[in-house]
Amino acid sequence: MRAYTPKDDVQAKAYYTDRFYVAPQVPKQDVSTDPVFAADLEAISAKFEVKESFIQVENMVIYINAKDIYAVLEFMRDSLEYTQLTEMSAIDWLAKDDTFEIFYQMLSMNKRKRTRIKFFIKNGDAVDSVEKLFRCADWSEREMFDMFGIEANNHPFMKRILMPYDWQGNPLLKTYPLEGDEFAAWYEIDKIYGKEAREAIGPEIRDTARVDRYDSERFARLGYEQPKGTKITGNEEPTVQSYQEEGGVFMVTKFDKDTSKIIDDPQR
Amino acid sequence: MAQIKNRLTPFFENITFDRDDNELVLNFGPQHPSAHGQLRLMLHLQQEQIVKAHPDVGYLHRGMEKMAENMIYNEFMPTTDRMDYIASSSNNYGFALAVEKLIGLEVPRRAKVIRMMLLEINRLMSHLFWLATTALDIGAMTVFLFAFREREYLMDIIEGYCGARLTHAAIRIGGVPLDIQDDFLHQLRTFLNKLPDNIKDYEDLLDSNRIWLMRMEEVGTISKEMALSWGCTGPMLRASGFQWDIRKEEPYELYDEVEFNVPYSDKGDNYARYRVYMQEMRETAKILYQTIAMYEACVKNDQTELMAHAPKYISAPKLDIMTQNYSLMQHFVLVTQGMRPPVGEVYVATESPKGELGFFINSQGGPYPYRLKLRAPSFWHTGILTDLLPGHYIPDVVSIIGTTNIVFGEVDR
Amino acid sequence: MAQHKVNYTQDGGLPVALTSIDKIVNWGRSNSIWALTYGLACCGIEMMASGASRFDFDRYGTIFRASPRQADVMIVAGTLTKKHAEFIKRLYDQMTEPRWVISMGSCANTGGMFNTYATVQGCDRIIPVDLYLPGCAPRPETLQYGVMLLQKKIRANSASKAQKPKRLM
Ligand code: SF4
Repeated sequence: MRAYTPKDDVQAKAYYTDRFYVAPQVPKQDVSTDPVFAADLEAISAKFEVKESFIQVENMVIYINAKDIYAVLEFMRDSLEYTQLTEMSAIDWLAKDDTFEIFYQMLSMNKRKRTRIKFFIKNGDAVDSVEKLFRCADWSEREMFDMFGIEANNHPFMKRILMPYDWQGNPLLKTYPLEGDEFAAWYEIDKIYGKEAREAIGPEIRDTARVDRYDSERFARLGYEQPKGTKITGNEEPTVQSYQEEGGVFMVTKFDKDTSKIIDDPQR
Repeated sequence: MAQIKNRLTPFFENITFDRDDNELVLNFGPQHPSAHGQLRLMLHLQQEQIVKAHPDVGYLHRGMEKMAENMIYNEFMPTTDRMDYIASSSNNYGFALAVEKLIGLEVPRRAKVIRMMLLEINRLMSHLFWLATTALDIGAMTVFLFAFREREYLMDIIEGYCGARLTHAAIRIGGVPLDIQDDFLHQLRTFLNKLPDNIKDYEDLLDSNRIWLMRMEEVGTISKEMALSWGCTGPMLRASGFQWDIRKEEPYELYDEVEFNVPYSDKGDNYARYRVYMQEMRETAKILYQTIAMYEACVKNDQTELMAHAPKYISAPKLDIMTQNYSLMQHFVLVTQGMRPPVGEVYVATESPKGELGFFINSQGGPYPYRLKLRAPSFWHTGILTDLLPGHYIPDVVSIIGTTNIVFGEVDR
Repeated sequence: MAQHKVNYTQDGGLPVALTSIDKIVNWGRSNSIWALTYGLACCGIEMMASGASRFDFDRYGTIFRASPRQADVMIVAGTLTKKHAEFIKRLYDQMTEPRWVISMGSCANTGGMFNTYATVQGCDRIIPVDLYLPGCAPRPETLQYGVMLLQKKIRANSASKAQKPKRLM
């Protein structure tokens, strides 16, 4: 019987885990341990609902409601000096509970602090675009749409950014295999030569360890290369490697090692 | 001669004169010698002036984030090389630092010094390359040849260290794999002693050159608000009036022990960026001199450790693996299964030559990262072209793309 | 002024060298291979380095051209992604015969380390390739050696006969 592979997460898995292995946790500190973060959190929680908050590896993490995101970021930008949105994207939790986790990484240059705002949305829901607050979210949201299929409301140009416009599938979903699906495998052939060329060009060779013993054209006969269609007998002459014909070339002098000067120290 | 048949339709979007408003749509790229790789720009022109610019990226999207989810942590290290391939070690370092923060490792001092040397050499390489390509784009072929000559010397030094010219993979999680080679310091010193003269050469060629000034001064001005709003970092941000350098503000490694200035300008135009880059080269040389002294102090104090000691995550030194049973077992498990960092999340930003290079890692306790997001500065520096180009003229496009210093391995990942 | 020293007692007393048309055409072709700048990724940087000061490509008569219509050889240096694939075909079609293709680096050869959904697994799926250069990234010396091999290949072919167009299928 074939081993069961889950369909909702086709990424590489650890092939062996100790039965009693308990993964340790990255330590989380309470927000009150840092006065600057504590003040920020207080200001935010006075106006918005904060579900959870802690400090992890020098970053404050705050979980909020999805509907508040625009207002929270606006408040942070205008009142709390978080002037830059350095990064935003999503994490795919579809296999676990059908949600996406969205994170916004904020930087305050005056306070030298970084805060991460997070929330969960259901699969199929859209987030509110913060493109009006931070222009950089324009591209980040497009990238998120491209990679996860999460749309942003009120975005001026909600189209794919990294993949071609006519691409199918969202590559960073856990259900999408690393090597791509059927559509991805034939994308360029279909587009350039048409479907009927598939047979002539053949499927992609993705096995990195593949060596064809009878292949007389590729690397299997390194040093003993033979032209296409030759019958391989097994006692071929080694290939002579040279960049010039034996008898010399018309009007081209050959490099002579003995009469050349070799410099030891390149920087002289 | 007949061409091989294909079904590609001719591109009518290349040039269209169709609309009644006299607008010309010009396609620039994705294969253009001064597009720094594979940038595609749709420029809407009114006569020579750009009214709308639409950058199209993704022509070098190779799926690195997806690869990270399918690779153990150490396996991913060479892939990070291919992000910002002008300065590979800075990417290695960003990733290594993120994982170290995740598992809470402290790196030995000697390794830190070597890392700093590598990072700063990479910064020099990147800035020299930037100068070369930008000058070439604007027409200064001599500067291109000069800057590449100097860059080759640095490549020699790096090659002596790690064996590769471009894709270094010179830093490991938990330290560095090797000590520097014998003539490393000598070569570096020789190079650094000549560097001020070299920089002066470039400046003599460029500073008062009329063509250079015309393409640089008052062109591509990024205001403070725009820089913040577009998430600009690195020299782009510093040229727009913020004295913000992560090495200074949130020091990592031993950057709090070295003396250096953060050059900045409040002009925000191409010329300001050019000045910031040139000054940064000088500062980098200053840091390198100090790291040489620090390294020699390490040698004197007999600090020979190069890798952190953490048997759960890092393999033991080669000698132990070869002689001790437990180390060999540990090494075997770490290589075949991979290390398992704790459950948690980390975002670590480092100052790469281009700007803030951040790694966001979400680990679920497995040997593979659950989600890894690469925060590459060039992505937004390309995005800013949308707002920056309108109002400029066609010849300025190339110089603006040049001074943003975008690298497409990083933009598209 | 340059002194032309011609030994009139040699070569039947004429200041000429006799050769066949074939040879002279091939000589011309092989010593002025103009390359299309096709730097796609990291390998493109090494291609630039081969053109720059230390490695000096001009010695081979290889000058980078930005337009496919002026180029003889396309050096595909870097990762070819699925989004870019159609453009390489377009540019290849614009080059004039005879044309050659050097695939530089493992990415262009086979997809290399990027065994992912977004990369074309070898640019020979789109265009016919003459020469594969291994390495990630190949050193500039490798590229120079590759160009010399290409010169050899050009010299080995007959120039006067119409060349068969290369076909992928
Ligand atoms: S072969 Fe290596 S160096 Fe060349 S483009 Fe591919 S990844 Fe980059």
